[in-house]
Amino acid sequence: MTSQGRIDVAPADWEQVVSGLQREGFVLFDFITAVDRGARLEVVARVINPATRVPVMVWTTLPADAAELSSLSGIYLGATWCEREAAEMFGVRFIGLGDSRPLLLRASLGEPPMRKSSALVARAIRDWPGAAQSTDDGRQGANPSRRRQLPPGVPEGFLRDNPLDSDVSGDVR
Amino acid sequence: MIPAEAHGTIALRASACTSCMICVRECPTWCIELDSHTEQVSDPGARRPKTVNVLDAFRIDFGLCMYCGICVDLCPFDALAWSPEHDHAATTAAGLVQGITELQTAWPPTGPPTDN
Amino acid sequence: MTLHSLPALERRYRVTGHPELRVAILDVGLACCALEVGAAITAGMLVPEVSSDTGGDGCVVSVLLISGTVTDALAPGVIRAWGALEDPKLAVSFGACANTGGPYWDAPTVTKGIDQLIPISVYIPGCPPRPEALVAGLVRLARPAVLTHSDQSGESR
Ligand code: SF4
Ligand code: SF4
Ligand code: SF4
Repeated sequence: MTSQGRIDVAPADWEQVVSGLQREGFVLFDFITAVDRGARLEVVARVINPATRVPVMVWTTLPADAAELSSLSGIYLGATWCEREAAEMFGVRFIGLGDSRPLLLRASLGEPPMRKSSALVARAIRDWPGAAQSTDDGRQGANPSRRRQLPPGVPEGFLRDNPLDSDVSGDVR
Repeated sequence: MIPAEAHGTIALRASACTSCMICVRECPTWCIELDSHTEQVSDPGARRPKTVNVLDAFRIDFGLCMYCGICVDLCPFDALAWSPEHDHAATTAAGLVQGITELQTAWPPTGPPTDN
Repeated sequence: MTLHSLPALERRYRVTGHPELRVAILDVGLACCALEVGAAITAGMLVPEVSSDTGGDGCVVSVLLISGTVTDALAPGVIRAWGALEDPKLAVSFGACANTGGPYWDAPTVTKGIDQLIPISVYIPGCPPRPEALVAGLVRLARPAVLTHSDQSGESR
């Protein structure tokens, strides 16, 4: 289970394992964040034992479409900040998190912006200069090597599935 | 002291550019645009004419450019280089877009700076 | 956030090598670019005027210098700072972020160019621009065409 400061736990054991670490001397809370793995969402908390300066990362895996986890804010007050951030950026619901106001985003942007399924709309509606192709002079065999490429950062089929209001494009140069 | 060419501007040597599109596709801010066409060139002695890209337009929007240098690093033909020119302020946003002529003017007389 | 005291934060500068320029700069330093404004002062390219310094001719132009990333959350503050400045005034957009969003051109929370909200007289490219580029940009303010633009923006406000 433990290798080089890493502990993998089941979501149900999350709060208990971290609280055990705190009792063992890992009293310094560093951060909580998440990693989008597609169908799974990994959540990681890092805590430190200040006496030995040893850090530990605790990992757990949640289904991406039902990302719920116990809040650590009752163990480390400072976790509130990180959990509010992970909630709005990754769409994790922290059960027992007292303060659930948005932290950095003024308003909901729909899909949590750090999820890979969340498209950067500006990239979808702006013409990607990299898609340009050389115009050939009409002769046989002219320049067959340039594949048309999709712009990076736009999930395939995004525009097909999300027809955009043409007004939006006025916002982007 | 900051090196003279650091965060100056990006210069183009159009004669070295093969319109390969690498810089255009790798630029994180999508601020390079390039137009080109292909032509058949017959070399004396060659059996068949070869196809070459001819650069028609090359624009960098310095309003967007984040001066990351990725284009300079990735250009396989040393057609882009850092230049110490820095006086490129404009009175309109469109005035920050530079074409081949302006980009060539900035080409450093010393040639592209090396890594060391 | 109160912005009443903002004009009091304006400071008058002489631009080294350009005696014709007297500017009162209100620097809206929102991100990394603001460091280059500080560098220009530290390097002596912009020299703060002392209060007894009344020499030189020509009026002092108030300059709103927007240096750094304007987010949609902060944009109203920038607009109010512009409104609080006294005429004659000009706005300078310093760096890619203020010009167009720059590295954050695709971010849903960043304003894609402060010129959508206030009239910009000079755009200085760079990420960040060198301190020398700030001076070169400020020098353009002294050009007649730019000053005319200032009068117009003052009337139409
Ligand atoms: S320096 Fe970076 S942002 Fe600017 S043109 Fe080159 S790749 Fe694009
Ligand atoms: S990478 Fe170099 S050769 Fe290729 S298009 Fe860009 S400037 Fe031209
Ligand atoms: S333009 Fe570049 S240096 Fe300036 S604020 Fe934006 S990211 Fe920072």
